[in-house]
Amino acid sequence: MLKNCLTATAIAISFGGTAVAQDYPVKSVTLVTHSSPGAGGDVFLRELAKALSPVLGVNVVVENITGGSGATAMAHIAKAPKDGSILYGTTPTFIYTSLLSDPEYSYKDLDPVVNVFEDPEMIFTSAKGPFKTLEDAMTKARESRGTWGAANPASLERQSMEMLKTASGVNAAVVTHEGGGDMMINVLNGTLDIGVGEMQELKSQVEAGQVRILAALTAERVADYPDIPTVKELGYDVAVRKFRGIAGPKDLPADVIAAWEAAIPQVLAKPEFKTWYETNSLRPDFMPQSQYRNFINGFADQTSDFLRSAGVTQ
Amino acid sequence: MESLLDTLPHLLDLSLILAAFIGVTCGILGGALPGISPSITMALLLPFTYAMQPVDAIVMLAATYIGAEYGGSVPAILIRTPGTNAAAATVLDGYAMNRQGKAGLALGISLYSGFLGSIFGLLLLIMLSEPLANLALAFSPPAYFALGILGLSVIATLSGDSMLKGLIAALFGLMIATIGTDPVTGSNRFTFGNSDLLGGIEPVLVMVGLFALSELLAQAGTRDDIDRITSRPRIEFPGLRLARRLIKPQAIGGTIGAFEGVMPGAGGTIASFMAYNEARRWSKNKEEFGKGSPEGIAAPETANNTVAETALVPLLSFGIPGSNSTAILLGGFLIHGLQPGPMLFEKSADVIHGLYAGILVAIFGMVAVGIAILPICVWMVNRPRAFLNAFILALILSGIYTIHEGLTDVAFMLFAGAFGFFMRFLRFPFLPTVLGLVLGFLVESNFRRSLVLSGNDMSIFVGDWVSIVLLTVAALFIGGSIIQRGISFFKPSPKTAEAEQIGG
Repeated sequence: MLKNCLTATAIAISFGGTAVAQDYPVKSVTLVTHSSPGAGGDVFLRELAKALSPVLGVNVVVENITGGSGATAMAHIAKAPKDGSILYGTTPTFIYTSLLSDPEYSYKDLDPVVNVFEDPEMIFTSAKGPFKTLEDAMTKARESRGTWGAANPASLERQSMEMLKTASGVNAAVVTHEGGGDMMINVLNGTLDIGVGEMQELKSQVEAGQVRILAALTAERVADYPDIPTVKELGYDVAVRKFRGIAGPKDLPADVIAAWEAAIPQVLAKPEFKTWYETNSLRPDFMPQSQYRNFINGFADQTSDFLRSAGVTQ
Repeated sequence: MESLLDTLPHLLDLSLILAAFIGVTCGILGGALPGISPSITMALLLPFTYAMQPVDAIVMLAATYIGAEYGGSVPAILIRTPGTNAAAATVLDGYAMNRQGKAGLALGISLYSGFLGSIFGLLLLIMLSEPLANLALAFSPPAYFALGILGLSVIATLSGDSMLKGLIAALFGLMIATIGTDPVTGSNRFTFGNSDLLGGIEPVLVMVGLFALSELLAQAGTRDDIDRITSRPRIEFPGLRLARRLIKPQAIGGTIGAFEGVMPGAGGTIASFMAYNEARRWSKNKEEFGKGSPEGIAAPETANNTVAETALVPLLSFGIPGSNSTAILLGGFLIHGLQPGPMLFEKSADVIHGLYAGILVAIFGMVAVGIAILPICVWMVNRPRAFLNAFILALILSGIYTIHEGLTDVAFMLFAGAFGFFMRFLRFPFLPTVLGLVLGFLVESNFRRSLVLSGNDMSIFVGDWVSIVLLTVAALFIGGSIIQRGISFFKPSPKTAEAEQIGG
């Protein structure tokens, strides 16, 4: 154990030594996540930090600022120095919290920097259950009543299920839970017909043959699973994009933005980082700032419409 | 049996033993500090595990969890403050024993029961993971609702001398549980635009306020020489006679703990309250409960330590974390590129066997560390009251502050303390409030989820056998205790007349 600690330190030192690939205005970057240690958003930032350090030529550390479903972290970032030293790991949560809770500092007080990944959302069912295709589940919902699960009430997963319900016009109860684990149990024991979840959460159950993936909610087929059709192909005009990227305080200097826009494609091409994100079924989805800004604004508008039409907000 | 044998070689792995010891020590300390929950302790340690071998890292986190579940009982006994949610039931008889000068024995019973519970839980985890995992699958939303109702039915016996006051106290808890994000729609409820309230009010704030702060306030109003506790700074394990008497409450605690542990979302708090309740129901010395009964410590402490191991069943079998602590353990797996779930047993069997071995080491480590530090703890609480109380206040304030590094939590805790002081005056019991707060969300969210599933058809609650059984048992409990109260009302016996109010 001690030996490993020493090796890790040695690697960290050697990173520092070989640095100076680009001129980043500050020596150390803190990436803030609202996730607790070990959660999806946290693991993503920690892996990114490891791969990014030598490319940006700076020390990259991760800090967990939990609380208020991301509101605390957003306030921290909005008030942070505008020099690229403190940035934020984005997920759809920061949009949802901004719209649902009207916190003092919202996504509007931050500025998107770059996007890095898409976490593909999949529709799945129990392998022991009667549904072989998405259409089987839809037929049941059309003829009697479907039970569809989503991990959390205020989430992209629920939104995608509600969108599917609207697009298909079937009769289904969209049942929300306290996290993906609760929902998985209800899919496995047959309480729910189908559920929606990120590929990386489902992987283990898929490999064990407990869960069958019916369709992808992505715009295009997922590279690792070329046989799984998208929901769009199956005739329902629904696709969502669960993004994982970086945002910062407003008015960041141009050289910081340029450094990130140059660094992310390089990081994504690194073999060891590639192995990590491919095993976790993350799809590289690089967007430079101008594109990412438009995307975030569009995403927020769509979500805001959804929350109003679902009666969550007025 | 096979996995038991495969586990043995790992017991000789030095780095694994070291990881287990570090984990269990940090866990006991974190669990013993009011406000620092098992999950917070684990989250604090998680970054240190990044550079470790996967097995060592996971063993360290699991050992922390086990240590913390035990550590929570130490302040519950010594300073009337449960260090963890699950230790709330231990306060009743633990603190009562402490006031009788038997702190050493109380701590000994809790350590001994925690040890037995952990060993029992580990054996179940190794031998019966598969059938237990299927038990978790049998629980649909209506069954969880029924489980929560069964947990709430304990209020009937925790209410002390007045059922009405008990129910009012429970309602406080249920009301606090509605603050935060609505479990079905996701809208904000009673947050008044304050983003600190989005995640709801953590039970630990209310518990520390009600128990610890109100106790400090009450003591500030008494003369210094009153309530002087002088326990010998020595930890005493139960003798043969007492050990034999504890077998029954420990068996009850272990069974309930095993059952609740495998249920994601149920957890140690319900387990320890139910174990306390059942131990009292089946005890030959019912009247001692609440006044320093050794059985009243043994049952909940066996239960919450059994939970610490059996809670790993859904995590390892399905990759489903049932609590905050197991969610962080899941994070530990993921960081090291391991995906808990059905394939883990096939792909990384050595990690599983290493984990089993590490847990075994941690359980023995828990006893060793306990024996080493408990006398110091007893010595510390025997210091002059003014110093001790100032120290406790500093401890709880800093502990609460650490949760989110914010003063909002501290303000809630202080408010709960002031509120608790008045509840104490009016002889309201605290435990129903804690129970309502802990179970409120489980009951509400599963009630509403069931109705969404059924399209507002109430018959869903009697639609599966698990919920029928649980609801029937709950009805029997409540009916039984109402009848008992009725009888004692018409025939006032000396026992109930002097019954000490529980928790207040």
